[in-house]
Amino acid sequence: MLRIHYSLESQLKDGIADIAAPEELSIQVRNLVLKTAKRKKVGFGSTIAEHPSQSGGAFHAAASGTVRDLDYHHLVIACGEGGDDAEPVNVASLQPGRELLRTLQELGIDIAVLSSRAETLVINGMNPEPGVSVAEQMLADEMENLEAGLDVACALIEPQRTILAVADASEYRLPGTTPQSIKAKYPNSLDALVVKAVTGEEFPSNAKIMSVMDLYALGRVVRTGLPVTETVMTIEGRNYRVPIGTPIRHLLSCLGIKAASGDTVVLGGSFRGEAVYSLDEGVRKGDYGMFVISSDAFPHVQDVSCINCGECVLNCPGRIQPNLISRYAEYEMFEMAEKHGLHSCFECGLCAFSCTMRRPLLQYIRFAKDQLRAAGRSEQA
Amino acid sequence: MTPPIIKAMSDIATRLTVSPAPHWRCGRTLHAMMRAHLAALLPALLAGVYMFGLPAAATVGVAGSVAVLTEVLCLRMQGRDVDVDNFTALYAGILFAFLLPATAPWWVAAAGAVVTIVLGRTVFGGFGCNPVCAPLVAWAFCRMSWPAAMDIDLNLAHFMSNDPVYQLQRFGVEALSQFDYVDLLLGRQLGGLGASQVAALLVGGGFLLITKWIRWYIPVSFVLGVSAVSTLFWFIDPGTYAPPLFHLLAGSTVFGALFLATDTASSPVGKLPQFLFGLIAGSLVVIIRVYGAFPDGVPFAIMLTNLLSPLLDRVRPKPFGGK
Repeated sequence: MLRIHYSLESQLKDGIADIAAPEELSIQVRNLVLKTAKRKKVGFGSTIAEHPSQSGGAFHAAASGTVRDLDYHHLVIACGEGGDDAEPVNVASLQPGRELLRTLQELGIDIAVLSSRAETLVINGMNPEPGVSVAEQMLADEMENLEAGLDVACALIEPQRTILAVADASEYRLPGTTPQSIKAKYPNSLDALVVKAVTGEEFPSNAKIMSVMDLYALGRVVRTGLPVTETVMTIEGRNYRVPIGTPIRHLLSCLGIKAASGDTVVLGGSFRGEAVYSLDEGVRKGDYGMFVISSDAFPHVQDVSCINCGECVLNCPGRIQPNLISRYAEYEMFEMAEKHGLHSCFECGLCAFSCTMRRPLLQYIRFAKDQLRAAGRSEQA
Repeated sequence: MTPPIIKAMSDIATRLTVSPAPHWRCGRTLHAMMRAHLAALLPALLAGVYMFGLPAAATVGVAGSVAVLTEVLCLRMQGRDVDVDNFTALYAGILFAFLLPATAPWWVAAAGAVVTIVLGRTVFGGFGCNPVCAPLVAWAFCRMSWPAAMDIDLNLAHFMSNDPVYQLQRFGVEALSQFDYVDLLLGRQLGGLGASQVAALLVGGGFLLITKWIRWYIPVSFVLGVSAVSTLFWFIDPGTYAPPLFHLLAGSTVFGALFLATDTASSPVGKLPQFLFGLIAGSLVVIIRVYGAFPDGVPFAIMLTNLLSPLLDRVRPKPFGGK
């Protein structure tokens, strides 16, 4: 019998726990502008890379140490004696404006959402995916940081109304926001669907959305003046404060989790996250969960043709036809995929989740989007 | 250019699987789907054997095994992996056999099974690519080629009962007084060896609906279509047109609604398209029974509507945020 639970509810028992400091940090630096070099000493909070885009936040060392290894993809820091630690920046004294934004960006905050005004600001307080409870944990335990983050966000965005979207059964509130309850079932936690539930419009231009995790990071930066060097993530139902770059091997050994050959280790949620190829891979900014999925838990993806059963279409919250779009992507007809609503897809993964033939539908969709982006870039150049 | 080495695999002891998101899956597989479908056919098969005797089992056996063998041959000739262990060929062969009279000559069952696989599926690219429900292609082929061998009344002449839809077509609504609705429901009627076992089919189809291997949109709207159009005719003149309940219970209406119209490849994909599909097919059943040359309208109604599937698939909502 097919009974699938996409429940986003969680029973929080404990607060956020700390993880023992790792001996090494492994940070993905692909496509970033490096600010350090091999064998250099770095201090806690010193900038190691900048984001090439105008709004992306910078990256900082989560511990002091020496850059042991560096290629175009990874930067490995051997923790220990290092350079000078970063001095706290007095963010609270800055007035809303360009300087504040630049300071936040230098401290690791993505300022894309903060850099222009909007009528409505939605705070997404839903747990992002089944099995991840970070959002509720923060609403329960990190109120001071959230409030500080909300103040700065409101000062920059100047919204006329601020709404907190929470799961329907939860009692969590955030001062300064109007609560709105949403059914705690995946994919209702996705930004596009939360905005739709709050404003009644699909992709409205006058609304912005931030997750409580974004708000927490912002608030923490403002209160401490120190850069973003950690993420909070759910591992086997508990939430941990994990320094960015902590190798997965370290997490597994700290928590006594076993990963055997053939298993899948996922950073992020199990619907949208990314499978890592090596246990030496480090935790990235914005990873809110880690899952070890044993090799026999689910039938594997296979490369076969679609049988048109329609399950992907019936499950799609974006009302597109993943069966058609994936075939267009498969045969490199990306413009046709675009014509059939490719960009309405918000990559929830439900199509591939429910595919009887186990086709990698989400992969095809991401591939098509990527190819179109690349084509757009080469046209501009 | 040599591709850049991203990072040497430092730990060979644990080789992780890298796969695209989502990493959870609902657990549905084609194999499980086909097993469920075959299990759903079992009650009707048993009821058919009980009603028509061992020839029914023999016909199903011949059609099923020939279909599987043909599939093996076709896959071999195409140089593809032989994956008949997913039961799709067996299922298609049995569906075809269910439409045959129980005492159909063995060579008709065999030829039909070959046509099901070759003409119904392989020429279009194999399982899941057929624009028309594969067993129906074979049924139409055999019905046109060997009308006598496919004729239900002729083949089952040794039974005391008659084929209800044939009686309706030839002798009008007065001839229907010989049938009792309970008999029709319990499968005590002449017809396709499995297609006429209404109660058993309902049990199997109900199982598929409860386990969500088929969605309710097509079967329900199919029945709705049959009932609506037959009620319309019946209101016009009860003396000329059969009552709606007769149309639902006689012939292969239930079989069509639950097993033939819901064929994944040849039916549309969306909610509304599926509903329209069922409605059109159901309506056509009655229209063909009233005006057509063939007594049981179900196979041709579904085949015709299959051809509309690509059109019906265009009845779709605007994508999220689309203008």
